[in-house]
Amino acid sequence: MTVTEAPRAAAVEAAAAPSPSAPPTGLAAVVGSGDPRTIGKLFVGTSLLFLLASGVAGTLVGVEQYQSDSSQIFGADTAVRVFTLHSTAGLFLGVLPLLLGLATAVVPLQVGAATVAFPRASAAAYWTWLVSGGVMLSTYALDGGPFGSDSDAVALYALALIAVIVALIVATISVVTTVLTLRAPGMSLRRAPLFSWSMVVGGSVWLLVLPVQAAMLLLAFLDMRYGPNAFGGASLLYDRIAWVFWQPTLYVVAVPALGIIGDIVPVFARRRHQRHKAAMVLLGLAASFGFGAWAQVGVTMDGGGSAPWVDGGPWQVIGVLAVLPVLGLLGLWTLTLGAGRPKLGTPLVLAMLSGLLVFLGIAGGIGTVIVALDLDGTTWMTAQALLVLIGTVVAALAGVAFWAPKLYGKLLPDSLVRLGATLMALGALVAAVPLAIAGSIGQARFVAGGIDSVASGDVSTVETLDLVSAIGLGVTVLGALLVGGALLARRRGDGPGDDPWEGHTLEWTTSSPPPIGNFATLPAITSEAPLYDARYAPASSTESTD
Amino acid sequence: MATATDLEIFSTAPPPPPARPRVLLIGSALASGSAAMVVLALVAQYARLRSDVISGGNTWLPEEANAQLTPGNMGMVTLVMSMVTVAWIVHALRHDDRTHALLAFGVTLLLGAAFINVTVFGWQQLGLGAAGSTQALLIYTITGLVVAMVGAGMLFLAVMAFRALGGQLTGRSAEGVVAAVLFWYVTVAVYAVVWYAITITK
Repeated sequence: MTVTEAPRAAAVEAAAAPSPSAPPTGLAAVVGSGDPRTIGKLFVGTSLLFLLASGVAGTLVGVEQYQSDSSQIFGADTAVRVFTLHSTAGLFLGVLPLLLGLATAVVPLQVGAATVAFPRASAAAYWTWLVSGGVMLSTYALDGGPFGSDSDAVALYALALIAVIVALIVATISVVTTVLTLRAPGMSLRRAPLFSWSMVVGGSVWLLVLPVQAAMLLLAFLDMRYGPNAFGGASLLYDRIAWVFWQPTLYVVAVPALGIIGDIVPVFARRRHQRHKAAMVLLGLAASFGFGAWAQVGVTMDGGGSAPWVDGGPWQVIGVLAVLPVLGLLGLWTLTLGAGRPKLGTPLVLAMLSGLLVFLGIAGGIGTVIVALDLDGTTWMTAQALLVLIGTVVAALAGVAFWAPKLYGKLLPDSLVRLGATLMALGALVAAVPLAIAGSIGQARFVAGGIDSVASGDVSTVETLDLVSAIGLGVTVLGALLVGGALLARRRGDGPGDDPWEGHTLEWTTSSPPPIGNFATLPAITSEAPLYDARYAPASSTESTD
Repeated sequence: MATATDLEIFSTAPPPPPARPRVLLIGSALASGSAAMVVLALVAQYARLRSDVISGGNTWLPEEANAQLTPGNMGMVTLVMSMVTVAWIVHALRHDDRTHALLAFGVTLLLGAAFINVTVFGWQQLGLGAAGSTQALLIYTITGLVVAMVGAGMLFLAVMAFRALGGQLTGRSAEGVVAAVLFWYVTVAVYAVVWYAITITK
């Protein structure tokens, strides 16, 4: 008796003693977290805020261009700076981190890993990105940023953007390494879910392109601070950045969006993804065509810039070829939906809308490379960028709605998300189509202070088109606000259950939200859709997947 | 012939550990590729500007530049020698020869320091101010980034040396060292491109 009671007494004593490593709570739990789900949610939330700021800036610039001589909001000098804020914040503080946040939270679950490969590096990347992004935006208030007149603030902007890019690179390395090394037993790379695979191929190209952008910014920074100021300083800084918004680099941003759509479509079609391996090859091709570091405005010795690649063979060939993988993927998704019994859930609606936007944006590239149309350097390219980037954001929001049970432990309010994201997609079309028309009649990509001249057509027509485009961007911002509201007003009541959509991939085998370590046990993985196999084993044995 | 007892032992034995994921190695490979792209992008910019100037009938480097082959060549030779010593580290660790591994770590760090020294000497000898010309700015930026890569590689190797000293890295688990060595090789390859573009072609 004594023997059995002694340990019990010791246990009670130990339990009464203060825990040496009590888990932090409140702000400390967030700031010190290495949990990929927490970091991913932070990335998603803050990038949506930055996107909202970018959208508002874009709308104001659009209004500024309408009858600029009589109804100026900022004035010519400020308008051009606000435009650069709109574009750089949209990509580096909005679209890329939104995708990375979703990937940081979801990819470990998809591949059956307990966490990301480098959780502390991911956390460091988030905080570096957040602080640098804040500094980058605040330099605008100090008369910095591209076209700013305070040289110190302009240099600080360049440095902050470099830090943002480094943070994005680190976060990307963590996600890509997770897929390459931490997949569950049985999950070969060709059985990886399409979103995870798209992060491998798209992320790998990001890792080759983003450093080039950082290098160009570093050169510009050193030139301004310590060099002969030979590369144009603040007035040409935007030339060092803008190539990432043009084809072909623009396209690689959308690759994870295609992966998200590829994971949503089969679940809502209630059918295995048709030709999964072919879809992986198409995603790989889409990513490789997006390596566009060679297509940037080169520095010249007189401080100007030159782009000899424009109208060159490779640029034209890639402009046309880049459409094919997206077209192929759209075909596969049509096949999958046709072969299944689709249910029109919100994630599927958003995925289809985003697929349409991205396709239109990339297809528009064919027009850009046809020399006779003379669309290069016009707002046709702005329209392309809007379609691809907003399409990517809508796909990411489809992903957030789809994986909300794993991210938040709740479903998002269907009607609010569907309305918000649909408004975003429609707003993108209303914003892009007038700009494309204006570009086709000769409106230059951005004219500081309004429209000076157009190659052909009536200036007032172009101004009206600009106003319609600004209204479209405003609608997009309104849609984003609704989606933001949906994120804050997650569905009340009981949890959504572990697998509310009857998913096909590993993330749906664990609880919602997942426990620490993600999985207690993993099912046998013999295909790219292990849960589909388990659910429809007899039927799926007769299906062709490749 | 196996007895029933033997079979029982095998059936209750724990499964073999899963193949060790090479997380650090793959992560380092991706980081190395990104770091290389930073320098290579600037080298491409350098080559393009140089080509523009020369095709205009001018000389690339300013007249006052004192660009000698020796510092660049010595830097290249130093890094090539370090490729042997980092291979020596891995070989020694794989054979659980900690003495030789630590010796090789030390020699590699020494060679890295020598490279930085000779590069700084080359900067002093060049005699150009960074603010004086675009050429000088590019040369200092590119070679400065290589020095930063070598410094990062030395730090990475030093951390791994401490881990080896503490017994964390052995013949069976030398992944951290292999990752550091991979980064070192990429750095040497990048410098080879820089050496050709700046020192040899001038």
